[in-house]
Amino acid sequence: MSRMKWFVILFAALLPTLAEPSQAMANNCLDCHGQRTILNKGVHLFIDPVKYGLTTHARIGCVSCHDNVTKKHPTDGVRPSRAKCQDCHAAVYAEYGKTEHAKHAGCTDCHKPHAVKPLLATSGRDINIQCARCHENSQTVKSHAKWLPQAALHIDALPCITCHTGSEKYLITLYLAKNIADTPLSSITLVGFQDLQPFLSAGKKVGALFDLNGDGLISLDELKKFNKNDQYGKLSLLGTMIPEAVTHSFQILNNRWDCTFCHASGPKAQQTSHLAFPEQDGTYSRMPVEKGAILDILYGTPDFYVTGFTRNSTLSIIGALIALSGLMVPILHGTLRFLTRNRRKEH
Amino acid sequence: MLPPSKLMEQVYLTPTPIRIWHWLNALGIVTLCVTGIQIRFPEYANIFGTYKAAIRLHDVAGITVSISFVLWISYYLFVARNLVKLYVPNLEDIKQGIFSQAFFYFFEYFLGRKNPHTVTQDSKFNAIQKLSYLFIMFLFLPLVIISGLLLMNIAPLRGWIMMMGGIKFLVDAHYLLACSFFAFLCVHIYMATLGHTPFSHFQQMWTGWEKMETHPQ
Repeated sequence: MSRMKWFVILFAALLPTLAEPSQAMANNCLDCHGQRTILNKGVHLFIDPVKYGLTTHARIGCVSCHDNVTKKHPTDGVRPSRAKCQDCHAAVYAEYGKTEHAKHAGCTDCHKPHAVKPLLATSGRDINIQCARCHENSQTVKSHAKWLPQAALHIDALPCITCHTGSEKYLITLYLAKNIADTPLSSITLVGFQDLQPFLSAGKKVGALFDLNGDGLISLDELKKFNKNDQYGKLSLLGTMIPEAVTHSFQILNNRWDCTFCHASGPKAQQTSHLAFPEQDGTYSRMPVEKGAILDILYGTPDFYVTGFTRNSTLSIIGALIALSGLMVPILHGTLRFLTRNRRKEH
Repeated sequence: MLPPSKLMEQVYLTPTPIRIWHWLNALGIVTLCVTGIQIRFPEYANIFGTYKAAIRLHDVAGITVSISFVLWISYYLFVARNLVKLYVPNLEDIKQGIFSQAFFYFFEYFLGRKNPHTVTQDSKFNAIQKLSYLFIMFLFLPLVIISGLLLMNIAPLRGWIMMMGGIKFLVDAHYLLACSFFAFLCVHIYMATLGHTPFSHFQQMWTGWEKMETHPQ
């Protein structure tokens, strides 16, 4: 056996022990900081183990950021250090630092380090809740209404970062909400994993509710079956647009002032959509949806429509034929009228 | 000069409030059609500069048409009180009027024969006009107004929209209704040229007075 192979085997054997300390250390820390009793000593000392477990930070462990914690903690009288965000996120920090936003809010005002989720595991609603902590919803609607038609609808339906971004393109994301007929869009409840439990047979994953043939793609036919299935009566598929790339520049690109950036049939890439559905661990998974599904008239996404963008071409043609039929009356009758003008004059 | 058998007399057919409504409505409907084209097909039609301008104008025209419709129906119901007589086809219209009028428009007209319907103040419309206006004014217009008002207020009226079958159904219904209105408009304007001169009906809708042939006893 070559030396290289020995090295690989040795590395593989050591890997669990290398990975273990951060996990073990986290568990040690959470033995106290994950208990609600610690709230008595300070609200900031409590770390929700479930939320923390979902963060990317959990993978690197507590001591990666709080590196001066000693074995005698908390009796050693040493206040644990905190890493600075820019130590790891230097590029984002630099980009954000140039914005007006940075003068009013630091990183942790929006991203709680012990609860922050990766973007793909977040819903648009989660993002707007962060923004609304400073930008109160009614004020935001009021300021946008000065130039934006149906401002309340736009603010309700889109994550703020769809427009306030440096990303050139956006993606269509479909998501599940419940009882949307009874509540305004701004306060609808997103469907959680528990809500889908009654529809899941043993061992089935949430994706199987939509992806019936298990090919990893939700076809229009599968989407129709979901929408037409009465047992999902209280569940609705809504849609939103999220930036293709996340930036912290919070700039407004010039083309976002032009309504047709969204309200026109854009490049084919923008017709691509994904369905985001909740998982057991509180994150969201995404599954691609067949292209054109959002354009279907009745059963694709009956509650998601963007004027000028998601119009159905068949229906457009039917409408044009109706209009044309009206136009044919003057043309045909007028032609006959012209041809018979002499005969009519005789009478 | 008219032949002696065809004397003309002036008849006052359309009262001022209805004429004001008609032209306001006409302007509104044309504006709605043109802005509507830009709203649905923005990449093909940019008539009003920006999409937002088209939306705003569409909204203003929609509200204007809605208010004028309420005033129109109120005038006929409470002031003139002849709504049913003018717009609802009677038994005679259904049994015979519709067919004889259709026969006239599609055949007899080209032979130069006389219109079977004689216009009077109490019988302004022939059977086909009654039927068309009944559908347009009491079915299509209310439906397009209701769907339009819902679409203007999606956020606050979401529950109603869901009850009606969802946003997509509503938008598509509004679009098809609008296309029907365009079709009606084409036919309506053309039919208005079938008076004793091509412009006599237009003049009548402007002044209220229509020149009509009378036959001496």
